[in-house]
Amino acid sequence: MLDFLKRVFNAEDKSSKGQANNRLRLVLTHDRLGTSGLVMDAMKEEIIQVIAKHMEIEGVPEVKIITEGRHAAMDISIPLKGR
Amino acid sequence: MGKKTAEGQVIVVTSGKGGVGKTTTVANVASSLARLGHKVVVMDLDIGLKKLDLILGLENRVIYDIIQVIEGECTLKQALVKDKRFPDLYMLPAAQTRNKDDITPDQVKQLCAQLKKEFDYIFIDCPAGIEQGFRNAIAAADRAIVVTNPEVSAVRDADRIIGMLESANFKDIKLVVNRIRNDMVKSGDMLSIDDLLEHLCIDLLGVVPEDQNVVVSTNRGEPIILNEHAQASTAFNNIAHRTLGEQVDFPTFDDITLWTRIKSLGRNMFSGR
Ligand SMILES: Nc1ncnc2c1ncn2[C@@H]1O[C@H](COP(=O)(O)OP(=O)(O)OP(=O)(O)O)[C@@H](O)[C@H]1O
Ligand SMILES: [Mg+2]
Repeated sequence: MLDFLKRVFNAEDKSSKGQANNRLRLVLTHDRLGTSGLVMDAMKEEIIQVIAKHMEIEGVPEVKIITEGRHAAMDISIPLKGR
Repeated sequence: MGKKTAEGQVIVVTSGKGGVGKTTTVANVASSLARLGHKVVVMDLDIGLKKLDLILGLENRVIYDIIQVIEGECTLKQALVKDKRFPDLYMLPAAQTRNKDDITPDQVKQLCAQLKKEFDYIFIDCPAGIEQGFRNAIAAADRAIVVTNPEVSAVRDADRIIGMLESANFKDIKLVVNRIRNDMVKSGDMLSIDDLLEHLCIDLLGVVPEDQNVVVSTNRGEPIILNEHAQASTAFNNIAHRTLGEQVDFPTFDDITLWTRIKSLGRNMFSGR
């Protein structure tokens, strides 16, 4: 989760303003949801494990928070293996 | 001049973080509105740490305070301090030797109900923090102005406050960005108005530049709006006009036009796809 957010919120901007923006995007998302980067990472693992118990996962699963304005949603995308 | 509108409006000025410019905003926007002919009262709810009287330069004229009104030691009218520089500006002082828990949201509501009959605008100077003092300050408010600085910790607190105001069912929450330095924004070392609007997702009411004149005015106990050459003065006057619902352009802020363009593209700027 943490890594994902960092990637999306382009870590390329090296100015102090760019860093402030990247840090704020992360911290505000977590503040609003009452969570933290560590909790998000743990949850992502658990979600994938639950799916993997019943179905076969093929490819790279993604669990991420998407935000629009002050609203957020969890976006889970887990590619499954068919027969 | 008499009261203009039927029912007065209560506007709370709040921030979460301390020292971002709430009291300065209250003093100047209220003075500006009073100068425009509106009946305005400022209520200092920073009980125990009052500063509004000093910033307005009214500290020597205070006789009673809000707690004495609540406890029935004097009438509301007796406690109101009239500002001689503006025809219709009054202040209800905070008590300095008491604390925030000595009043309740209901008591603030009762006071505001009385003041609404007499005044067009009731500005509440909210203390820093999210505890009792904050709850008292928002209890009677119809609108909220959130003041922040272009700085990560102030923005984080502003976001928390906006969330709490939304939970309290506020529909009218507007942002004032104080102490912005255009030179630093341009050189990439300060969050821009654009950035702040993207993070906080609320409407912009005003942008006040960092201005040494604010310190000079505060030393003298004079509202900065009396110094018409100060940049901050124009900014606060513009905020007063926007508070009245008037359309006032934001001068010389390139980023705002950019933000308007981005917004029209839709708000899912980082939807992750
Ligand atoms: N635009 C500005 N330019 C320069 N200095 C400013 C500006 N705005 C505020 N200040 C200074 O910042 C200090 C804090 O301002 P102010 O008392 O209005 O903040 P506050 O949010 O009410 O603080 P508190 O949380 O302690 O009540 C003051 O000394 C003031 O002179
Ligand atoms: Mg203050």
